[in-house]
Amino acid sequence: MSMSPDELKNLKPDKVVDARGTSCPGPLLEAKRNIGQVPVGGVMEVLSSDATTVRNLQAWAKKVGHEYLGHIEEAGYYRIFVRRKK
Amino acid sequence: MSIYRCVPMADKMAIVVFSGSVDRLLGMSILASSAAAMDWEVDIFLQLWGVYAFKKDVMKENMNFSEFEELKDAVVKRIQELNFPMWYDILKQGKETGNIHIYACSTAAKAWNVTKDDLEMVDDLMEAGEFIEKVRDAKLSFFI
Repeated sequence: MSMSPDELKNLKPDKVVDARGTSCPGPLLEAKRNIGQVPVGGVMEVLSSDATTVRNLQAWAKKVGHEYLGHIEEAGYYRIFVRRKK
Repeated sequence: MSIYRCVPMADKMAIVVFSGSVDRLLGMSILASSAAAMDWEVDIFLQLWGVYAFKKDVMKENMNFSEFEELKDAVVKRIQELNFPMWYDILKQGKETGNIHIYACSTAAKAWNVTKDDLEMVDDLMEAGEFIEKVRDAKLSFFI
């Protein structure tokens, strides 16, 4: 279930993956590469300059069995939160 | 008595790469690596120019475009401005983190006089019939 922006802002991610400046498939490949470093139940935050990454990581989380928590739009980039479920 | 086991079928993508043009290879590498990141199994079969483009002495030198040749310099410049990785780096990252297998057509390998060791990222040489059987359950298939 998606979280509110305030809830997301209070999250303490276990891993922050900065994929800003990369284009598809950069953020997705970085998410895939780094999720293993997050403990099960922990949260990964992915930073991307592209709005399309929000839906891409949403689809990724659904497909591979993680939980998409939501995103926050900052000036010029997006913070996308995913909880590792397995 | 037969014993049947229900094993969920993996999502599988099959890509046949005939072309050796970098613009097509870029599109292929984005699809293959994204699919692998989404936990798809990806099997790639290289044919004539595809095998040529995976040769160790060709891969990084190849700047052949298949379309809009007159725009090549502008496209290359823009890709460099964006610091966009080359097609083979994208595919390599996908292969390192996901389930991508790359097979080179044995006849094309003979045509170029190469073995598996002369080719980058290639897992094995293979004949077409074996590849067809390997990907018979693929849910998505592409030919470039």
